[in-house]
Amino acid sequence: MYNIIGKKIKRIDGYEKVTGKAIYGDDIYLKGMLYAACRYTDIPAGKISKIDISEAKNIKGVEAIALYKDIPGEKRLGPIRKDQYAIIKDEVFYSGDVIAVVAAQTKDITYAACEAIKVEYKSYTSVNNPEDSIKPETRLIHPEFKSNVVVHYPLVKGNIKQGFEESDHIIERVYKTGFVEHAYIEPESVTVIPDPTTKGYKVYGSIQNPYTTRKTVALFMGLNLNRINVFGSTLGGSFGGKDDVINMMACRAALLAKITDKPVKLTNTREDSIKESYKRHPYIMKYKAGFNKNGKLKAMKIDILADSGAYSSQSFFVTWRSVVQATGPYEIENIQTDIKAVYTNNCYTAAFRGFGSPQIIFAQESLMDEIAEICGISPLEIRQINGYGQGSITASGQKLSGHKVSLLQVIKEAVKKSNYKNQIKKFQELNKINKRYKLGIGLSCSFRGCSLGAEGTDATSAIVSVQADGSVYVLAGLNENGQGLRTSFCQIASEVLGVDIDKVVFLEPQTATITDGGPTVASRSTLMGGKATLQAAEEVKKVIFKVIKKDLKVENIEDTIWAKGFIKKNKPAENIKPIKFEDAAEKAYGAGLNLSAYGWYSSPEVSWEESTGQGNAYFTYVYGCQVAEIEVDTFTGKINILNITAAHDVGKVINRLGAEGQIFGGVAQGIGYGVLEDFNIQNGEVKSNNFDEYLIPTIKDINHIEPVLIENPDKFGPFGAKSLGEPTLELTSAAINNALAFATKKRSYQIPLTLEQVFLGKNLKKPSRQSEDIHLSKNKKLSPKISNIKITTPASLDESIDILNKKKCKILAGGTDLIIRLRMKSEQQELLNIYNLPQLKGITENNSGISIGSLVTFSEIIKNKIIVTNFPVLVKACSLIGSPQIRNRATIGGNIVNAAPCADAVPPLILYNAKLILKSQKGTREIKIQDFIIKSYQTKIKPDEILVSIKVPKPEKKYYYSYFQLGRRNALNITRMSISAIVSLDKNNLVEECRLVDGSLFSHSQRLTVIEDLITGKELNNIIISEIEKPLFELINREIGNRWSSEYKMPVFINLVKSVLKDIKDKIGKS
Amino acid sequence: MINLKFKVNGKEVAIKVEDSKRLLDILRDELGLTGTKEGCGIGECGACTVIMNGDAVCSCLILAGQLQNAEIETIENLERDNILSNLQEAFLEYGAIQCGFCTPGMLMSAKALLDKNPHPTEEEIKTALEGNLCRCTGYIPIIDAVKNVLDKY
Ligand code: FES
Ligand code: FES
Repeated sequence: MYNIIGKKIKRIDGYEKVTGKAIYGDDIYLKGMLYAACRYTDIPAGKISKIDISEAKNIKGVEAIALYKDIPGEKRLGPIRKDQYAIIKDEVFYSGDVIAVVAAQTKDITYAACEAIKVEYKSYTSVNNPEDSIKPETRLIHPEFKSNVVVHYPLVKGNIKQGFEESDHIIERVYKTGFVEHAYIEPESVTVIPDPTTKGYKVYGSIQNPYTTRKTVALFMGLNLNRINVFGSTLGGSFGGKDDVINMMACRAALLAKITDKPVKLTNTREDSIKESYKRHPYIMKYKAGFNKNGKLKAMKIDILADSGAYSSQSFFVTWRSVVQATGPYEIENIQTDIKAVYTNNCYTAAFRGFGSPQIIFAQESLMDEIAEICGISPLEIRQINGYGQGSITASGQKLSGHKVSLLQVIKEAVKKSNYKNQIKKFQELNKINKRYKLGIGLSCSFRGCSLGAEGTDATSAIVSVQADGSVYVLAGLNENGQGLRTSFCQIASEVLGVDIDKVVFLEPQTATITDGGPTVASRSTLMGGKATLQAAEEVKKVIFKVIKKDLKVENIEDTIWAKGFIKKNKPAENIKPIKFEDAAEKAYGAGLNLSAYGWYSSPEVSWEESTGQGNAYFTYVYGCQVAEIEVDTFTGKINILNITAAHDVGKVINRLGAEGQIFGGVAQGIGYGVLEDFNIQNGEVKSNNFDEYLIPTIKDINHIEPVLIENPDKFGPFGAKSLGEPTLELTSAAINNALAFATKKRSYQIPLTLEQVFLGKNLKKPSRQSEDIHLSKNKKLSPKISNIKITTPASLDESIDILNKKKCKILAGGTDLIIRLRMKSEQQELLNIYNLPQLKGITENNSGISIGSLVTFSEIIKNKIIVTNFPVLVKACSLIGSPQIRNRATIGGNIVNAAPCADAVPPLILYNAKLILKSQKGTREIKIQDFIIKSYQTKIKPDEILVSIKVPKPEKKYYYSYFQLGRRNALNITRMSISAIVSLDKNNLVEECRLVDGSLFSHSQRLTVIEDLITGKELNNIIISEIEKPLFELINREIGNRWSSEYKMPVFINLVKSVLKDIKDKIGKS
Repeated sequence: MINLKFKVNGKEVAIKVEDSKRLLDILRDELGLTGTKEGCGIGECGACTVIMNGDAVCSCLILAGQLQNAEIETIENLERDNILSNLQEAFLEYGAIQCGFCTPGMLMSAKALLDKNPHPTEEEIKTALEGNLCRCTGYIPIIDAVKNVLDKY
């Protein structure tokens, strides 16, 4: 019945994105602009005693260095409570605090100047555990607020004591979640330009909420709002993340622009971004539930502690959503919930897709499954017994009415689509057979309040303007974050006016042209902004109708149809011709009518009583259910997500392509949250500071996602549409956790479900001591960036050797490792670029074996026929290195000489008895690879030597082989452990020769001779395989027994060795 | 400083740059080709992917000194005479773009694959794109797009 609503529509901002023409924050370039960078603190907590900028100031090209004292306006900022600083004074609150900002003519000068700013501190013991933070003896992080508790929301309903007394069972569980990084692929960037016209500033950049940026910059600069005009650039992902952090950056850039009177650009490196930007709140959640034998919930007591980090930021709002939704979509008579957010010296935490819901849903939905188990009913039944229906009363005492309460409907659809019940049976059967890989299936469901609710003012604006030729502009007070808002708003205008979407243009918003539409958050853009667009379009439609009603011979607008560029009577009548939209527009324009309309949509009434936590929190809700199917490798703890079915009631789909995209993207982030994303911060120091340490899902970590869109149009939203963006993410981790319990019969109470969490039931992290961190920080480079290098490119091997003989150089081959390490070096580095030397390339074969040039790339190795036939383990290992981009550049020689314990090419080369050919002016020498590598990152190469080639003898007999590599995810891994194995048999089918080599276990890869000897001469059977356990344990224990990771690595490695031997045994059996 | 001669999108480029510049910096800052993006600077996100001598590489991991005589192809070369390639069209059609920041890199990795293998399997597509992170789309529409590119792209 609609022309365009509900269809699959290509995004209107797609063209510029597929051509590289879209302008993102860092793509802005202005002549004469300066580059800014931040001088971050070296410590996470303490007091600054001295800042010395004298050296930095004198560097040529430095144009300004701004400190706290230079701030012209408000020094303390923050969206709700003023406790945050764009530039700190003397107190350090967390490791992302900025002490000074520098503007210079080039990026390199700017970074050099930052390094040259010397700061002295007195360190405090940093407060990093929220449970410590609330202890009375703990130092106050912001003494002026008299407590480390940022906010406390209570909620009381019924009589909790009585509820527990009436319960048949009571259980108590504690759930934990960690920090989560938004990991938008675009790091933040902002450019500020002095604007003589307004005597203010223009602000461009990756800005999620331009109005908040405007307000913050105006305050900081001591200017009125109308002096600051904010233009959002194309945003490279945000998910709630490019708000407070970009506001702080905008303030700094504005200050530098003021001082220099030049445009200033401030772009974060990934490391800066991860260090400074806020995260999703870690929660510690204590749930106590009372319920009857049959599964009916009677009472629930919840205590939640949220880590707000150094600043309060959005904690007030985030935790408020949690208090409303903490009991899940279940009717419970007696509830007491208390949630507190507290200050620590960790990264601060604020808005992130989900906004206080992913944490509680993980806890709540894991708990429901456990309750079901205790009552002997299914996860489905427990939800049917307790789930919300029409007219149910929520924890905050709100009666759910006025919209379709579709919880049971979404569950039913998810169950149906995922074939849930049959899958359960199938998985149970398969799990009986397979000892190692266990299948699991689990579900979770939720309700979610739409838009902001009683959390704040909830209204937004849009303008629809029809031009004389019938083309249309749409402007909105909300921001395109990549979610597809421009497309859906244009669709709405197109639907109402009956014009083709190609005729509608979405205008770049700027804060000067349209009223503050509030933040683009809380999945509110379609619901609120879409409604404002709808209203505006309808206004214009009415105006146009005035000039054509006579021609169409109709009285009421309802009697007309506006579609496909024509306006016609809904009851076709002869001799009345449809009117072209553009003719009608032209006529209206000619009649002097205003064809622009302003839509302002303010949300329906909501209410909240702070002291009891009671009220009508949101004006409408959405419901969702997800089913996760997973496979667990019980030998390693690795989870593979097979399928997620995601059923969501969206009210009404506006753009099907966009809606499904939200589900795919949200679920993928949910998978990351549930399984991979283990943000490592210790003693306030961020350890996972780039994408090599902070692992988000790759394309290989997502298998299948099945979106199920359910429509129950809502009276408030445009065409009945509600929200979708956040619900898609919030359910996934709980569903996965329930699937894990199904698979392994063990429950986990903490996410992410890392290898260690699954295998050991706890998360292991490399311990670090605060004193060590501080010591390290003295020598570390502040911003990783390649700066000071000199490259020589010799024309031949002889010339290279000549140069090496004369001076100390680092050899640059593919560069995939070296360049990363160069970023951390400040002192000058001389590089010898040998990458193009033909003498070091190519793979040659002779009678005895092959010779691989040291510059042969991994891509070449895995394609080479001789290697594929003769050295399958080498091919397997090399094919799992990094990504195609890395394999296309990285060389086998580089991998060997680098000698990282995780170097993947090394174990197979040891396995195949490879020898290295090294050349220097003194001559050529040959060395076995296992003798060459001494330990991690240390080899016997001499400073004047070059690795020329690798000789690998061809196997003279038939070897059975097996290889296993364990990584945290399915691609782009740093190998956690690997095992390479080959076995040959004698004529009696006994093991004639066995070679086993570890990867990433010991400080350098080596043959497991103890095990090899044990097996040699025997028949490879299950008995002998289980006999290796003890000596292998002793061997590993001796070498790495006291390492932090050995608790995980020892048993897992034993499992892996056994499994590859078993694999070989099976291969022998088959041949 | 290095005097460099190489080809970008079929055109000869001759410039003088500092030794510490990466291919990524040269493209973005010296040549104004800002379609290629920086997401991590360490080869872990693929946003900076370009095609160098026929292979997908991370332009953040290639130093100026290694560019002599190379042939580079960037996202800016995909649209010819205002006509989008079939690959670009497929990305639009299947909703393979949200914020679009990973898109140039994704497209270049996909193109490097299709140039050599016009009918890849799903597994081959996943392997070709495993070095390109996307935080928005959940990858599924991207796989669909590459799978469905018409023969001539
Ligand atoms: S910027 Fe090069 S891989 Fe991320
Ligand atoms: S579309 Fe945003 S990162 Fe891929």
